[in-house]
Amino acid sequence: MRIGDFRESYEHDEAIWPTRVQRGWLGLLVLLLLCFPFGVNGYVAGVACLLGIHIIAATGLNIMTGYTGLISLGHAAFMGVGCYTTAYLAQRGVPFILVLPLSGLMAGLLGVVVGLPSLRIKGLYLAVATLAAQFILVYVFREWSSVTGGVGGVTIPAARLMGFELRNDHSVYFLIMPVAILLLIAARNLFRTRVGRAFIAIRDRDISAEVLGINLLHYKLAAFAIGSFYAGVAGSLLGYFYRAITPEYFTLELSIFYLAAIIVGGLGSLLGTIFGAVFMTLLPELLRVSVSYATQWAPGATSVLSSMQQIVFGLLIIGFLVFEPHGLLEVWRRIRRFFHLWPFRA
Amino acid sequence: MRNTDHPVNIPRRRAMAAGLGAAALSALPFRVAMAESGDIVIGAAQPITGVFSFAGVGLNQGLGDYCNWRNEQGGVAGRRLRYISEDSVYKMDHEMAIFKKLMGEYKPPFFFGGSTGWAKVAAKEVEPLNTTLTSGVGFSSELADPALHPYHFIAAPTYVAMGGILLEYISSKASGSSKPSVAIVYSDTEFGRDPIPGIKARAEALQIPIVLEVVTKPGAVDVSSEVAKLRRAKPDYIIFHGYVLAPIPEFIKQMREAGMKAIPMGTIWSMDKTTVSSMGAAAEGWVGVMPYRYSYETDNAPMMKEMADYVSRTYPDQGYITLFNTHTWFAGMIFAEIAERCINADKALTGENMKQALESIENWDTGGIMGLPASLKSHQIPIGRIYEYDVKSELMRPISDWIETS
Amino acid sequence: MPLDFDWYELAEYAALGLLAGGLQALIALGFVLVYKGTGVINFAMGEFMMLGAYFFYTANVMWGIPALAALILSLLAVALVSALIEKAILRPLSGQPVISILMVTLGLASALGGGINAIWGGGHTYEMPALLPRTPLYLGDVFIPGQMIWSFLLAAAVILVFSLYFRYTATGVSMRAAASDPTTAYVLGVDVRATQRLTWMFAGVVGAVAGIIVAAITNLSPALGGVALGVLSVIILGGLDSIVGAIVAGLIIGLLESLTAGYLGGKVRDIVPYVIVLVILLIRPYGLFGTREIERL
Repeated sequence: MRIGDFRESYEHDEAIWPTRVQRGWLGLLVLLLLCFPFGVNGYVAGVACLLGIHIIAATGLNIMTGYTGLISLGHAAFMGVGCYTTAYLAQRGVPFILVLPLSGLMAGLLGVVVGLPSLRIKGLYLAVATLAAQFILVYVFREWSSVTGGVGGVTIPAARLMGFELRNDHSVYFLIMPVAILLLIAARNLFRTRVGRAFIAIRDRDISAEVLGINLLHYKLAAFAIGSFYAGVAGSLLGYFYRAITPEYFTLELSIFYLAAIIVGGLGSLLGTIFGAVFMTLLPELLRVSVSYATQWAPGATSVLSSMQQIVFGLLIIGFLVFEPHGLLEVWRRIRRFFHLWPFRA
Repeated sequence: MRNTDHPVNIPRRRAMAAGLGAAALSALPFRVAMAESGDIVIGAAQPITGVFSFAGVGLNQGLGDYCNWRNEQGGVAGRRLRYISEDSVYKMDHEMAIFKKLMGEYKPPFFFGGSTGWAKVAAKEVEPLNTTLTSGVGFSSELADPALHPYHFIAAPTYVAMGGILLEYISSKASGSSKPSVAIVYSDTEFGRDPIPGIKARAEALQIPIVLEVVTKPGAVDVSSEVAKLRRAKPDYIIFHGYVLAPIPEFIKQMREAGMKAIPMGTIWSMDKTTVSSMGAAAEGWVGVMPYRYSYETDNAPMMKEMADYVSRTYPDQGYITLFNTHTWFAGMIFAEIAERCINADKALTGENMKQALESIENWDTGGIMGLPASLKSHQIPIGRIYEYDVKSELMRPISDWIETS
Repeated sequence: MPLDFDWYELAEYAALGLLAGGLQALIALGFVLVYKGTGVINFAMGEFMMLGAYFFYTANVMWGIPALAALILSLLAVALVSALIEKAILRPLSGQPVISILMVTLGLASALGGGINAIWGGGHTYEMPALLPRTPLYLGDVFIPGQMIWSFLLAAAVILVFSLYFRYTATGVSMRAAASDPTTAYVLGVDVRATQRLTWMFAGVVGAVAGIIVAAITNLSPALGGVALGVLSVIILGGLDSIVGAIVAGLIIGLLESLTAGYLGGKVRDIVPYVIVLVILLIRPYGLFGTREIERL
């Protein structure tokens, strides 16, 4: 049982996992993640892959919105940019190890363009600008048939690893999981650097941050770039996962889904992102199972499944915002505090 | 975020912990009993709820009904059909999740799904597995391409074929040397845009002038500018595609008020009797192409009669049977036919064998569901008939012979 | 321009666009009211519109109540729902950062939409009775559908009523006072909380009227909610907190949309509002008539 903080050096203070116990748990987690796909069927592996993709995208959004305070309603469109870039490059035989960062870069560049107005506008206005960008980008996806295949969509050839084609969910999992872990660690490290702290300063009070010498435009654009980069990589992985995508996938609804995920999970926290993404991804499955159970007592229950999903989604967002604004992270923290201080305090 | 302190609230914490625990447990896959060996499983992801529920309920019922009816007749070469479907809410993520789940648990030889997006992704999964044929409610011509999607078929004409049937009908209405002019109004969706180049090509081949193309949002409210354009183009026929209902009635009403005499025509999804009836006054003179007979047309159509009898036996309050029911009943017939051909030829139900069986279906008597013998060599059935809505009887009546195009 | 340019065509598109803009101005009024009163863009406006239309349909068609009484009943119902929402959801969140309130309206949109689907069926399309007279107007070669004219007149009437209310009645003036400077309004005895609730109720009613009109023109289906998103361009152009801006911008955007639909085709028409939004946000973020926000530390 750990009581209090006792740091003896700067490295120890800055470390992400300072204690040996924490590192032990971490090792166990990594082992679990590695062995996980061998014991499950295709469906669960597919859910795990989708989870990884959602975590990456939500992390990007949290960097932009949770840490820097720039509300983005266009996140799904950036995923789309990443996905279409992947389709374009992969169809020309570029190996995935290059395609992933290039797709992210393409999305990041577009993110910078969309973020340019952030010098003049902020808050609600910026949100509306990103909303407009979402619709315009989807329009481009549908019209620019020569590159994006128009409304028919594109197909993406499977990723190749040393001559091995990653064709089913079990193998794509081993593409998605390492990338997700890498990007999560990168995000965590980002907030130990100057750039990350500048983001947080901008979120808290941007005018004061400017007074302190932080170049607002520079760092805001960086936030957009990094957040969109993550979205682009997530979109790229989505492409390798589904291997066929249409523009109807990247809707405003998806952008709102990611926003909901980070709010439910906890804004401004990476652990919160993971909680939120997991929760929001598993929620429809949970609902479907409970509705199919409920039909035993109330036969008309299935007819409200889709409305139930909408209602629960909306009520969740409202509920968390009104009762638990810090999200699932706060719940987790309370549980942890309880166990840290047990048996001294109930 | 501002740091607002919340008091520690034990009941709330416990409730949340319980909820999260339940969520975690429920996420584990529920192992359902494996299908009995010998049963032929037909899996499906149907939009039973959501924006397509008006179709999804019928789609779901039709396939389930056919399986039950066929089992009553002794099944397929002695083996029973088993129908397992789940609600996809018409979202691709759900469709794929249901697909993977059912594939993982049952490896069904047949799967019926939803949108074109799903069909393309599913094709990627199905190809290496070589265990399953798929069909769905997306009728894009790309899906019926045996080279692109070898294990998928459409139990109906593609949208291009439907447009072709309409055009052939229009061509037959030509008086003298000039053909009637046509305008096309379509929605800016994948569904709407897919067949337009194909339709325009066929119109050119038939020398039918397309005087105007109008694109609208699927649920457009203000169509007055589009009607203004149509008025100036003066077409004889207007083909509406890519819509189910809105904004067709508003188009027709405004056109009539403006004194236009053009005949409005629609494709399959606008042809269900309940849909057309809800157009109200605008339904008068509504014409369109239907690949199947309507459920009340049971003369000289033994299978239609069987279906109508089965439904009236099982659901005595149902009354009119929608075309969505008919579509999946028909798809079930095709599934059963493929299975039967494979079993009778002593071939295992692999993807390759079933594909060959599918393509061997030629000059097949559909029992009256379609008016001409069907052939599935091209993975679609380009047969249809033109119907017109009769306001007095509130029924759709045929006004042409059965047309087969390519 | 060539001499045989069809001036009638231009006139027709222009007239149709202006008339359509009237309805957009009405929806924009709903947005502006909420923004003025509580500083929020109400992303659930589409769902308020749907609620109004569905309530009216239930009262008029399903219960057989005559149209005018059904109208009043449904407006009251929507006002009640808005008041409840303000009390239960928005009041606890006052003072929270922008993203929370934005997300809450999005969550509200989802919950309301789901509720409507659950009660009235998500896949069904209902036909509304013909509320607006259909007799068209012919000006030479220009054809104007009757419903467009009446929807414009109705929208104009509602906007006029509200403008007069805010100008000349005591409650209206105190609402404006509370919106502009809540602290001083408190000092002067204005019940700021009540005015905020009233603002939401008015916005709900405006949305409901707009929803009923739109449903009467097209039909009643869950797609009704999507109309409100296109109106965002109107409020950005006009200024988020300006009623005059909503009117002027509504007309301009309606005109632009109609001209693009007429001359460039329907596909482009859909994207025009969003391009306009981006352009305005880059050049003149507070719109034509919006008040410039000055941030003080």
